[in-house]
Amino acid sequence: MSSATPQKGRSERPRSWARSLSPQGPQLIAPASARLVYGSLTLAFLLGLLPWPVDWRWLTPDFTFLVLLYWNVHSPHRAGLGLAFVLGLLTDVARGVLFGIHALVYVAAAFVALSVRRRLENFLPPGQALQLAPLFLGKELAVLLLGLAFGQKVIDWWHLAAGPMAALLWLPVCLLLHRLGGRPPAGPAAAQDK
Amino acid sequence: MAMTAQPPMFVRVMGLPLRFALYALASLVLIGADARYDTLRLLRSGVAAALHPVQTGLARPFHYLQDAFDFFTVHGELVQEKHRLEQRQRALMQQLHDRTLLQAENAHLRSLLGLAVPPGYSVHGVEVVQAMTNPFSRKVVVDRGSVHGLSTGWPAVDDLGLVGQVTGVYPTSSEITLITSRDQDIPVQVVRNGLRLIVSGTGQDRLLEVRFLDMHADLRPDDVLVTSGLDGVYPPGIPVARVVSVEPPRNSPFARAVCAPLAGVGRHRQMLILQRETPTTGPRSAGPPALSAVSRHSGVSP
Repeated sequence: MSSATPQKGRSERPRSWARSLSPQGPQLIAPASARLVYGSLTLAFLLGLLPWPVDWRWLTPDFTFLVLLYWNVHSPHRAGLGLAFVLGLLTDVARGVLFGIHALVYVAAAFVALSVRRRLENFLPPGQALQLAPLFLGKELAVLLLGLAFGQKVIDWWHLAAGPMAALLWLPVCLLLHRLGGRPPAGPAAAQDK
Repeated sequence: MAMTAQPPMFVRVMGLPLRFALYALASLVLIGADARYDTLRLLRSGVAAALHPVQTGLARPFHYLQDAFDFFTVHGELVQEKHRLEQRQRALMQQLHDRTLLQAENAHLRSLLGLAVPPGYSVHGVEVVQAMTNPFSRKVVVDRGSVHGLSTGWPAVDDLGLVGQVTGVYPTSSEITLITSRDQDIPVQVVRNGLRLIVSGTGQDRLLEVRFLDMHADLRPDDVLVTSGLDGVYPPGIPVARVVSVEPPRNSPFARAVCAPLAGVGRHRQMLILQRETPTTGPRSAGPPALSAVSRHSGVSP
């Protein structure tokens, strides 16, 4: 795993004062590998296909969307609008809704995430979750409203609860993918503070 | 997305807002095309054909786990259920026999009257693979599709009554919208007095309702509702629901009746799809439903 190098660098830094002459910015983090990005997205998509209990469907978060946003924020070169569009179309078929609804919503959310990612990277995962919560909620709301606009007469507003649920899951997802991607567990901001 | 042919020094890439606008436009076009026209059915069924086997594969370990759990913990219950099912099987065979007799008799009477032979139905046994995460309606995916001859619009029943309707057909799988889905409306008839009603789903299992009921309508708890066959989709006489309570009008000029579906909607893994064998031109405009109980009491015309 590539996490050996950052670990070593962090442990040495407080001791060697001579190194303060060199730039002390956040640690350089190798970009996430394509295998990790697409592998985690595939896993998240399969997770969404699992037979979740029918009575708790309204609370089941959209795992694909969660991981997509993570990579939008942390690896924008691999996960851009095109990937969001394709994943959205797949989700449309998997959920049996009109073709393009999730594609539109995913692309819009990815656009927002890509626009604010520089600011988000300065926050710890809890702060990021708090800032992304409106996006998660907005995604569920947008799906329901688009369904309403395109012919669905009645909708179940309880499905909005999946949004906050996904925001809560942002923390474990960050923890897991930070570790897999070789980042310090608390993100670059924490490493900078030390 | 370089605009020039030679390797450029400054790669010109479309800005984020522009790319977003293009993708959003593409999505909207797709939504519009899917909502208004039938053009995307091939694409969708292609993707679905790739996805549904994955869904089936993912669901299978859980089915196995469930089966093992059932086997080890509720063995006695299974034995009891086996006895019960055998009894029900006998009862069903009896009913089937009765139905065959009735069909024969009916065909005979109709031929005597010189009318068209009523549509016979054949059945497809299907198994539920997956319940869909769809915030708009209750749907399940079953393991038979157009390869097996299924088509949209066909009713799905179990041994107790109406379960739903086939609303999407893919090569090896189909979507069935359950009658408890909030956008499903079924024309029914009260067995006791032949009153015609429309019963709708509520989005909850075990609950249906008659939304706009005349406040003087003769509907009582424990009345059984069967399909009237007037829509040409459901054959007449399939049991749908039992009335639980009739609520008098409060803020609206209409009463409302709460019903419970008779079939095990959302509970069973197996169900039957009814296929009409001889395509007919349309629903019969009048005439008593096939259920003998109705024809006996149909003196009261709604």
